[in-house]
Amino acid sequence: MQFSLTVNGESLEIEAAPDDDLASVLRREGYTGVKCGCDGGVCGASKVLIEGSAEMACGKAVREADGATIRTIEGFGSQDDLHPIQQAFVDHFAVQCGFCIPGMIVQTKELLEETPNPTEGEVREAIDDNLCRCTGYQKPVEAILDAAERVHGDGAVATDGGAPSESTAHEATDRPGETRDT
Amino acid sequence: MTTEDDPKPDGGTASHTEQDVAALEDHPLEWDEPENNNLAPDERASVSRPAEKDDDPKLVTGQAKYTADYETQFPGLAYAAVVRSEIPHGYVTDVDTSAAEEMDGVRTVLTPWSEETPDAKYTSAGQSYPEPSPWDMNVLNEHVRYVGDPIAAVAADDAETARAAAERIAVEYEEDEYVLDPEDAYSEDAPQLFGDDEVENEIVGHDYSRNRMSQIEGEIGDVDETVDRDDVHVHESEWETIRQSHAQIETHTTLAYTDEDDRHVLVTSTQVPNHTRRQLAHLFDIPIRDIRVSKPRVGGGFGGKQAMVVEPIPLALSLATDRPVIYEATREEEFSAMRSRHPMKVRARTAVTDDGSIEALDLYALSNTGAYGSHGMTVAGNVGSKPMPLYSKVPNARFKADIVHTNTPQTGAMRGYGAPQGTLALEGHLDEVARDLDIDPIEFRQNHYMEVGDLDEIAGMMGGEGAERRIRSCGLDECIERGKEAIGWDDLEQPDEAQLHRGIGMALSAQGTGVAGDELGAAQLMMNEDGSFHLHVGGVDIGTGADTAFIQIAAEVLGCPETDIVIKSSDTDVTPFDYGAYASSTTYISGMAVKKAAEDAKERILYWGSKLIEEPESNLETGNGKVYSEETDASVDLEEIGYEAAYGHDEREHILGKGTHCTEESPPPFAAQFADVTVDEETGEFEVNKLVVAVDCGVAINPGMAEGQVEGANHMSYEMAVCEGITFDDDGRSAVTSFDEYDWPTASETPPIESILVETHEPTGPFGAKSVAEVPTNTVPPALSNAVREAVGVRITDMPITPEKIRAALEDDE
Ligand code: FES
Ligand code: FES
Repeated sequence: MQFSLTVNGESLEIEAAPDDDLASVLRREGYTGVKCGCDGGVCGASKVLIEGSAEMACGKAVREADGATIRTIEGFGSQDDLHPIQQAFVDHFAVQCGFCIPGMIVQTKELLEETPNPTEGEVREAIDDNLCRCTGYQKPVEAILDAAERVHGDGAVATDGGAPSESTAHEATDRPGETRDT
Repeated sequence: MTTEDDPKPDGGTASHTEQDVAALEDHPLEWDEPENNNLAPDERASVSRPAEKDDDPKLVTGQAKYTADYETQFPGLAYAAVVRSEIPHGYVTDVDTSAAEEMDGVRTVLTPWSEETPDAKYTSAGQSYPEPSPWDMNVLNEHVRYVGDPIAAVAADDAETARAAAERIAVEYEEDEYVLDPEDAYSEDAPQLFGDDEVENEIVGHDYSRNRMSQIEGEIGDVDETVDRDDVHVHESEWETIRQSHAQIETHTTLAYTDEDDRHVLVTSTQVPNHTRRQLAHLFDIPIRDIRVSKPRVGGGFGGKQAMVVEPIPLALSLATDRPVIYEATREEEFSAMRSRHPMKVRARTAVTDDGSIEALDLYALSNTGAYGSHGMTVAGNVGSKPMPLYSKVPNARFKADIVHTNTPQTGAMRGYGAPQGTLALEGHLDEVARDLDIDPIEFRQNHYMEVGDLDEIAGMMGGEGAERRIRSCGLDECIERGKEAIGWDDLEQPDEAQLHRGIGMALSAQGTGVAGDELGAAQLMMNEDGSFHLHVGGVDIGTGADTAFIQIAAEVLGCPETDIVIKSSDTDVTPFDYGAYASSTTYISGMAVKKAAEDAKERILYWGSKLIEEPESNLETGNGKVYSEETDASVDLEEIGYEAAYGHDEREHILGKGTHCTEESPPPFAAQFADVTVDEETGEFEVNKLVVAVDCGVAINPGMAEGQVEGANHMSYEMAVCEGITFDDDGRSAVTSFDEYDWPTASETPPIESILVETHEPTGPFGAKSVAEVPTNTVPPALSNAVREAVGVRITDMPITPEKIRAALEDDE
């Protein structure tokens, strides 16, 4: 069957079986930044923005996405010109193997659209179904809090990269800004 | 401190034998350290700085290629699926493949009896050679020993067809009795998993009539004599650990094909490309040179990929179909048929005098290795040889382990490699003894732990593994001081609610760095004419940032920007030999090879610099992309040197450097863990408020990455303390088939983790580095057990620590 999707601004006509899951279809089309880490619907690695909301592409039949506007990780920054969220992950050493990171960044995008200044607790909850085995979540959480500032802060994009220091005291606090030194 | 002149008090056989004296000579206190190794951080240009992770731009934009991402580059790719045993123990009597073979799109089905199925025995453990694990497996099995043992494999045009075909394959069995519990398995009348002729390369201490694949023991001094002494109290406790899953987010994945030059190529998510190549050569009887193992980006390993878990199947299918074949394990297979941490029972015993002197330390481990023996003996050895040396001043010490088979999935290497199990027992036990004697638990440890200059004999008591070593760097005191401060040890406030109690627990840990005398890393460096470099390393980056650390080390030596170095790591056709990413060896062993390769190239660079500047080489140094004279300030760009060397008219040279490294040293990194917990004494519910872990990793080549390793390891350790791990139903079927059921702590269920890097200088490591990524995997279970004990007075010894167990213990207490 023929489906039409708009992926990262490009209109695509795609041949697929109606039950094919969106993650496989996107990967077949070359969007391999969409990762699959579980038998579906649990790990969050396959998250893409569908009409602006972060969803696991593996859990969705392509027919349900027919006509939708989709943004995958490939629709964010490029290697020489990273999106501020991507740059924050890099600067905070929040990326280890990187397998969960596309999904994590897509989820962050949705979070910051809805909650421009999230608390640490809100960040942790937002990525509760983005499973990461490498990082212990500490650095991704710091990166996301910093990304919020870069995206929505007073226009001042942090450039010092939040270089790690002993002062990254991680008090369990729900007040924004307290857990980082940028 | 123990030296030749200062034998251990009351040392029995611990006073120096001939062998010990030899060890002292092998490990002199004075270490001949190269001058450039020991610069202060601010004298360095690249090392000790949080350089951006080399592959990050690719990773965050989704451009990085993991094995499965190569799929679109192979038209005609076939997909594999595996038929696995439905019973825990028995014999396959028939496999009916006809229904599967009739399906459209099915290319081939292999059974244990197919011509293309290798029938050699092997071990999946990706270890050195000769292999320290028994050859007890087949690629496809007639004799099945757990629910999940592979029996048949399918290749089809797409993944759905392959899976559907696998489901249509009917297997008939003759069922046998099975055993799931290691204690039962070890009894005389248990069902036997292996017949005498079913194992090759048998391991020391095996007794298959009792399902024991190995028994090991090591001792210094005389423990039995010491525990009988009148002036000591004997304390004993028993501890139990979970079957932890590696749970790396990328499942085991391999793509196999034969290229136009008849070379058998595997693109595979592995930690051990060279071992995998050797093992495949053995299994398929193909010369090593005709196999190419190439590692793309890897989505996590943690030891689970220090094993040849899936590679033989796509290779066999590819040979049978003459097509490229990809096999991606499902998440369900990860839990039921890949690898896990060895669950263990560990008994700790000490003999201690009234005034708190530990006279003897004795650990015994019963390890459940599952259906096969991969990594069984070596992991068990590390239960003793990693944690016990922490207390190297104790004069009498013994470790013993029995490693037994059960009809459960196979275990393997996992971050920490036995040390987490041993650390729980040792650090929980010592905490309890200190409380018993009313001695401050930290002081109690400090009275016995290692110091710089000690010759650590306990590490050597097991023989080869972690042989005796001289301690040349040790930051334990500072780890404790800074950890105490960060957790608020001295000013803990109790909650207002009367039923809530807060407590802090602590634990120490030591690991090794590489396997002493048993590893090799190699690197090659080529200079381009524009002054840039290609660095080829056998060392394996599985997401740890190793590639970046290698670049930093080379850049430091060459005095060039990191961006001028292009790295290619781990492709057996291209990169030099390396044992692989395990045993905390990557930065230490492979990194040292990189340093040597860069120094080798630098010599030639200085030669050419000397020609161009017309000053003797001894005046010259590299830095800022130049060779410059320390005398006259004259300088020449590396680019000019590159062109001159390649195109010069009287003389020409391709500037190449090579380095290989192996060593008898395995310096321990150290960690001090603190856990702050609030427990409700009515319900047993608890909340971990914060984890702090301070790690002495020598010099951190990249502090940002090192912190990330510490935090990730500590999260994994936290999971071991609070998650049940992989459990089974009574029929031996994994009760965990998905992440949901695994029920590990997610981001909002994870307490904040504060990592502290305590910098020491390890003279045997590249620029003073030792390892970082394993030692913080060991420490949360004992620290949390100790914290709960501190908060409400009850002791939880079997993991995980749950509200139910705390409540039950509190009720017992009343
Ligand atoms: S693959 Fe989509 S959530 Fe795991
Ligand atoms: S970085 Fe490896 S899974 Fe998150």
